[in-house]
Parts: sequence; structure tokens; C-alpha cells
Amino acid sequence: MRPEFPAIHEIWVYLSGSPLLALVLTLAAYQIGVMIYERAGLHPLANPVLIAVTLIAATITAIDMPYPKYFEGAQFVHFLLGTATVSLAVPIYKGLPSLRGRLLPLAAALLGGGVTSIVTAVALARLLGADETVVGGLYAKSLTAPIAMGVAERIGASPTLTAVFTVTTGILGAALGRFVLDAVRCREWWQRGFAIGVAAHGIGTSRAFSVHPQAGAYAGLAMGLHGVIGAIAIPWAITALR
Amino acid sequence: MIDGLVRILVFQGIGEIAAKFVFPLVPGPVIGLVLLLAFLAWRGAVPEGVELVSGAFMRYLGVLFVPAAVGVVMYWPRLEQHALAIAVALVGSVLATIAVSALVAKLAGRKDADAA
Repeated sequence: MRPEFPAIHEIWVYLSGSPLLALVLTLAAYQIGVMIYERAGLHPLANPVLIAVTLIAATITAIDMPYPKYFEGAQFVHFLLGTATVSLAVPIYKGLPSLRGRLLPLAAALLGGGVTSIVTAVALARLLGADETVVGGLYAKSLTAPIAMGVAERIGASPTLTAVFTVTTGILGAALGRFVLDAVRCREWWQRGFAIGVAAHGIGTSRAFSVHPQAGAYAGLAMGLHGVIGAIAIPWAITALR
Repeated sequence: MIDGLVRILVFQGIGEIAAKFVFPLVPGPVIGLVLLLAFLAWRGAVPEGVELVSGAFMRYLGVLFVPAAVGVVMYWPRLEQHALAIAVALVGSVLATIAVSALVAKLAGRKDADAA
């Protein structure tokens, strides 16, 4: 007599009730994303976050797992966002010497770029009839994702839409930045890198690093400064304007 | 490594408390970031443990916002409905942001060089 094994659907019922499934799904999908990204020669369009989100969204839709149920397991990963945000102090601290002698042009570029990012996104979206939920997700989209999501919570916007718009912005900036910079005849590596960092945060920064180390250093600095200053200025400006 | 994590978590905690009681508009972790930055500047060096933990977070930063981004499944109908507006806003805005940042850096940088 063979021992009684639980039927496959019983295992399934057990697994889908525990946070383990969502956790494994999240990490495995990201791992697949990283593998594809590396195979694609670190091309910005093969962004590992985008691949992971697509894979997970398809999977939980296919197995009929409601998002809140998925999040119950994935929240252990999500929780670390705040801690990772605090750790951003280290790369910012290391980038600070790059500010020396260039404080004025960099501060001006950050201010100009930061304002342009919000004004153009919000104006274009409103012009084409997007609703306020969508518009709310656009405010922080040029900040680095962990900070952008924190800002979204403070201004009553959706952190989810903000995360999606932020990642998309990073991919677009990394993929298209070169053409814009050539079009405006910007040739200095520090200026090119900084502009990409202001507009396209971490994804733009890793792109900049793959092109030139100085561009990468300045992109990282721009990402950090935009994140910190944006996190303080954006909620304040929105509250003041309301 | 644990000492670095403890330090970072302490700064996060102080940041969260400050956000709750003093600066309700700023995300707590960002206040923690600024305080840690001030601490690093005061010390003049990055402690080894903090360096290790921060390096690990920076390497895998992407995976941390996957859970929230998957929430996109709940917004799907809305995104489809406004697909054109979103696409134009995202592409237009990122192009304008890069162009303006680069031009301002270029112009202000030139003035800077003249002054020097």
C-alpha cells in the first residue's frame, strides 16, 4: 500500500495561504529580470524591475491571487525600502566632493530640471485629460523610487502609480538621454551625467556609469540631491499651492 | 555588518519620529538619510558596517520597489483609459527635464568658468 500523499491542489491551498509563495515569487522574478538584463548587455530597456513586475503581475493574475494577498507576503521586501532610503546617505556623502567648484551650475541645473520635470508632466497629462489619480502619481516620478514612494504617501498620491511612473521615467531617460544631450550640444561628461541623474535617477545613473565614470559620479550625485531636496520641496510646494 | 544595520535603523527610527511629530510633510526615511549624512560628515568617514549594509542595499535597490509596483494590476483599467496622456507626459517630461538640466548646467557652468 502506498502512503497517502496530499493531492496537488492541497499543497497549493497550503502554499498560497502562506507568505512564502509571494516572497519567493518576488525574489525569483527579480532574479530572472537580472539575468535577462545581464544577457541584454545591461540595456536600459531590459530593466530588471520592469521584467519582474510584468512576470509577477502575469503570474498572480493567472493563479487568481488578489494583490492584497500577494502584498501580504511581499511586504517583507517592501519594508526594507525605508532602510534602503536611509542608506542612500552613503553614496551621497561620497559624491559630495564632486560638488566642489561646481556648486552654482549644479544647483541651478537641479532646480531647473526638478521644476521642469513636474510642470511638464502634470501639464501634459492634464492637457490630455488624465484624471487626478494619474496626475498625482507624476509629481515625484523623477526622484529615486524609494524616496518617490515616500513622497507619494505624504501628498496623498498612489505609491504604486508613482513607482511605476518612476521606473518608466528612469528607463526612458536612460534610453533617450544620449539623443537629447547631443541635440542640445552638451559635451562635458559632468554636465551630461548630472542631467541624466536629475531626470532619470538610479536607472539613468547606472546607464551613465556604463558610459563614463565621471558621468556616473555626477549622475549619482544628482539622483541623491534631487531625492533629498525633492522630498522636502515637493510636499511643501503642493501643500502651499492647494 | 549588524552594527551598520543597527546604526542605519536607529537613524531611520529617529527620522520616523521626527516626521511624526516635527516635519509631517517629509518622509521619515528621508529625515533619517539627512541625519545619517550629517553624522558621516561630522565623523569624516563611513564606518565599515554602514558601508557594507549600504552597499548591499544599493546593489539590490530595484527588488525593493517591486512589491509596490506590482500593485499596477489594480490600476490597469485606469492606465489603459489614460494611456496616451501618460505616455506623452512621461516621454515629454523626461526629454524636457534632461534638456533643461543640461542647458542650465552648461550656461551656469560657463559663467562660473568666466568668473574664475
